[in-house]
Amino acid sequence: MRVSLNWLKEYIDIDYSPEVLAHMLTMSGLEVEGIEPVGQSLDNIIVARIVSVAKHPNADRLTNCLVDTGKEQVPVVCGAPNVMEGAKVAMALPGITLPGGIVVKKGKIRGEPSMGILLAEDEIGLTDDHSGIMILPDDSETGASLTSIFPVKDYILDISLTPNRPDCASVIGLAREIAALNGNAIRMPDIQYQEAGAPIDELAGVTIEDTSGCPRYAAGMIQGVEIRTSPFWMRYRLHSSGIRAISNVVDISNYVLMEMGQPLHTFDYRMLSGHRIVVARAKDGDRFATLDGQERILNSRHLMIRDVEKPVALAGIMGGINSEIKADTRDVLVESAFFDPITIRKGAKTLGLATEASWRFERGIDIEGVINALERSLSLLAELTGGKVCRGIIDIYPSPHKTPLIELRVKKTNEYLGTSLTREQISPYLRSLQMEVQDIDYELLRVKPPSFRVDIEREIDLIEEVARMHGYDKIPVTFPMMSSDAGADDPTIKLHDQSCAVMTGMGFSEIITYSFVSPDSADKLGAGEDSLLRSFVQLQNPLTVDQSVMRTSILPGLLDTIKENIDNGEQGLRLFEWGNIFVRRDNAPLPVEKIVLAGIMTGQYEQKAWYNTVRETDFFDIKGAAEVLLKSLGYKETVFKRDGITTGYDQDASCGIYISDRCIGHLGRVASAVMERFDIKAKAAFIFEVDIDALAEKELEPIMKYAPFSRFPAVKRDLTVIVAEETESSLIRDVISREGGNLIESVAVFDVFKGEKIGANRKTVSLRIMYRSMEGTLDGNRINKLHERITKSIMNETGGTLSEG
Amino acid sequence: MAPFVQSNGASILEDLFIILHSQNMKEQLIKIQKQAEREIDSISSLEGLETFRIQYLGKKGHVTSALKKLGELPPEERPEIGEMANSVKAEISLMLERAKNRLKSGEIKKEYIDITLQGRAPARGRLHPIDIVNREICDIFVKMGYRIVQGPNVELDYYNFEALNFPKDHPARDMQDTFYVSEGVVLRTHTSPMQVRVMEKQQPPVGIIAPGKVYRSDSDVSHTPMFHQVEGLLVDKGITFGDLKGTLTGFVHQMFGKDVALRFRPSFFPFTEPSAEVDIQCVICHGKGCRTCGNSGWIEILGAGMVDPAVYGFVNYDPEIYSGFAFGMGIERVAMLKYGIDDIQLFFRNDMRFLRQFY
Repeated sequence: MRVSLNWLKEYIDIDYSPEVLAHMLTMSGLEVEGIEPVGQSLDNIIVARIVSVAKHPNADRLTNCLVDTGKEQVPVVCGAPNVMEGAKVAMALPGITLPGGIVVKKGKIRGEPSMGILLAEDEIGLTDDHSGIMILPDDSETGASLTSIFPVKDYILDISLTPNRPDCASVIGLAREIAALNGNAIRMPDIQYQEAGAPIDELAGVTIEDTSGCPRYAAGMIQGVEIRTSPFWMRYRLHSSGIRAISNVVDISNYVLMEMGQPLHTFDYRMLSGHRIVVARAKDGDRFATLDGQERILNSRHLMIRDVEKPVALAGIMGGINSEIKADTRDVLVESAFFDPITIRKGAKTLGLATEASWRFERGIDIEGVINALERSLSLLAELTGGKVCRGIIDIYPSPHKTPLIELRVKKTNEYLGTSLTREQISPYLRSLQMEVQDIDYELLRVKPPSFRVDIEREIDLIEEVARMHGYDKIPVTFPMMSSDAGADDPTIKLHDQSCAVMTGMGFSEIITYSFVSPDSADKLGAGEDSLLRSFVQLQNPLTVDQSVMRTSILPGLLDTIKENIDNGEQGLRLFEWGNIFVRRDNAPLPVEKIVLAGIMTGQYEQKAWYNTVRETDFFDIKGAAEVLLKSLGYKETVFKRDGITTGYDQDASCGIYISDRCIGHLGRVASAVMERFDIKAKAAFIFEVDIDALAEKELEPIMKYAPFSRFPAVKRDLTVIVAEETESSLIRDVISREGGNLIESVAVFDVFKGEKIGANRKTVSLRIMYRSMEGTLDGNRINKLHERITKSIMNETGGTLSEG
Repeated sequence: MAPFVQSNGASILEDLFIILHSQNMKEQLIKIQKQAEREIDSISSLEGLETFRIQYLGKKGHVTSALKKLGELPPEERPEIGEMANSVKAEISLMLERAKNRLKSGEIKKEYIDITLQGRAPARGRLHPIDIVNREICDIFVKMGYRIVQGPNVELDYYNFEALNFPKDHPARDMQDTFYVSEGVVLRTHTSPMQVRVMEKQQPPVGIIAPGKVYRSDSDVSHTPMFHQVEGLLVDKGITFGDLKGTLTGFVHQMFGKDVALRFRPSFFPFTEPSAEVDIQCVICHGKGCRTCGNSGWIEILGAGMVDPAVYGFVNYDPEIYSGFAFGMGIERVAMLKYGIDDIQLFFRNDMRFLRQFY
């Protein structure tokens, strides 16, 4: 909320600089986000008198004025329609910078000399009025500074209000808060008018059909108003609060809204059929044109103000065109009501309409302040419109508001805050906030909050007020005794830390991509019609289509990221992401949410340096990374199998990762069609994905434990077999471990060779077997026999032959 | 001490002399070896080495002379001392050999290592700056005794709002621009739902820290639709607002430095009361006022407060017995402050030129 400091000072003495006041308010919970000086350049603007006005020879809309600056008479070219001989006006002389940043210069306008600018109110930064130059009172002293006439050197405070403090959404509301802080008394505005018109009861009536939607409705009337521009002071204040001035009647309702926080509405009395106000719900499908010129389609959620024939206002939100104040309006009915917050909020939400009025009604206004605001507006109307206020007001208030009585325990307050306040300290804090405080005993207070404090209902609300008034900064700093939390640790936390360490150690950099993706990401991955990758959680209100569904796979983010980085000139990339994927379930409100870790490699394996020759990343790089990762996490028995689950992967160069027959991930080369669809300018990319939630399951949890090792020497035997190209090395390994049993310490494939010498579709596989026993030194003959048996079995089962030499 | 007269009739004095003598020999040999070790490194020519060899291993050299005295020892002492003398001799021979190689290779070709050449670098990956800061924050609280918890990103309205005392159709819901999934399901707008999820599963004491992704339908220069928060919650008997101040003061001092001032000012969150915003002294200008802090000298980094009794109502805690506090902060904001990052969008573009700057 924006508020003029000078306006505030009308209700309360403030002896601080704007900065100090802003600090005080901020530290009491009303955050001042900005202080904007206004009228700081008024010293430089002078009162000038227009001596003569002549037509500009070269432009129809311009006039050549001769202006008396108090020192001399100078020519000024002016474009305003309201220049008159003898008028006192605001003038900026050459060299002055105006609030908008314009520097005034001597010059010629369309060939005619001009020695300054005659200013409109908006050019001085006072209001947004640009309809003509600012005409000053006739008795203003020519040549004097403008500050001698308008002491408008002011500051606009921009205050961010929390939803619980609607009572501060007015100048008086803020003044009350300042009063609580500085102890000064509030000066309420004068309400003085003569009820010179006819009795209102004879002119109008009010019926509330929906008393839950409208617990109180009051109305007043004024007859014979003259619609005109409001005086400068009112326009200035409205402008400072960000409200556009329109005409005196409308401005007054906005002025009282800003001053007291009570939204008012003014109707053109002659447009109210039957001269009766009826508060009732709309019917589904009703149409209504609001003041902003829009036709609104209504439903039964909307509370309406009607006359006997038609709706005339959307209650608490916006008036209707059909009853608005016009230039020829003579009689005005003023509404001051209390509408139910939830009703107004629902209504405003469904229409997507938020106004100063609806904002306040939603948060709760002072139901006991309705009449005061009405009378204040009638008083201003009488003063500024020339109309006669009708006798009496209408006030329909079937069940008056009951203010709660709240008990506050001194001990509880101190226990909660960590303070040692006494009853004698607490009571004044609350009284300063206009609460009635009754001492029950030395430890118990009974408190009645003022009706405008709709946020105070419970003891805790009072404790907060005590803390606020005492000052958060005065509450002692202590450290809690920590008892250990009773819950169990989430195993994925540890996996996260370990995985990140291993991945970065292997040269992978961590990325974080958005959890929402484009729905076409499943198409781009090549997902089938029934693929789970299409079970998207859809957002109802996405910002863009590209962020409209939650990802079912972590791959699109990785692929998009390497695309961008390759386009930026990166030669080789290793990236990983740890994040959630989301798969919709039709039988539960929440999707399956799983943590996945995925890594991607592409381009050069490493940067060219003096010590290496550069090669391209291949399948075994990603496989090695996955193997090292899983081993480092303690999963020793990992099996890699072709399993046909290959969405996004190249069928020929991919596999599933299994632990204890559970598939916990995949790895392989990205399918070339996917590379194309993601527009990745690289020969190949390799990925692995691991289901972290599966790894974290109790049954797969690795146990770190010591096993005794043999102290006897090992025997090394090498073996080279020629087998068919598609014979997998794991088959050979399986044979070796089956035949060799616990005498096999390790098997390593140390060479694989394909070439003409070997023959088409064949390859040699060279293995090194280390034999070792726990029981003793191995006998050479025994090992030879065993090695021979193993060799034979390999031949038998693979159909291979032994390599010569 | 042995008797004055031994069975073989040798005098005690003689015995004593021999014992002393053999002790002496050992010491002398050790001395010779140490001296050789000291001298050998400073010899810079083959001639010098020859002189060294003669001095120690020559006919009249130190070791040879020592060996010659072996005969003066009683027979039973000889093998031990002899062996020792030989090993010293071997040691010195080895030294000579090494020194020779050293000098020779130097004469033929002096190896020059360009120590400014880049070493063979194993690949090195980086953690994302969000992760780095997240760990730092969590570590501080874990050391204080908090437990890390995580929860779903797609969340029930109940946990995200209702049980946190954001009633339906309440303006407090406007504080956060929400992504909706379906009736009663949203993308969580904060990590606070974890408060309720944890409390409904266990009785106090509760001390948790909940990091994670959150979502708000807001995207501009200073907002991304997804960002990260860390939530903290401590509920037990006798927890006070003063404890909240102490905990967050400790946190800020560890995170930003011991000299960084902080202030608590009243604010509003539906699920805490009293509520506070916590500002730290601007880490860029140290409170003098700059662009980052909007000339105020303060930067808002945390929202916090005492858990509102209304929340306890949803998890069946008795507010007459238990009290506690909660706090939350945006990780991006902390990371931006710590590393001087001026564009929040950078975090999710994952440009290597950005990521490489963190370690």
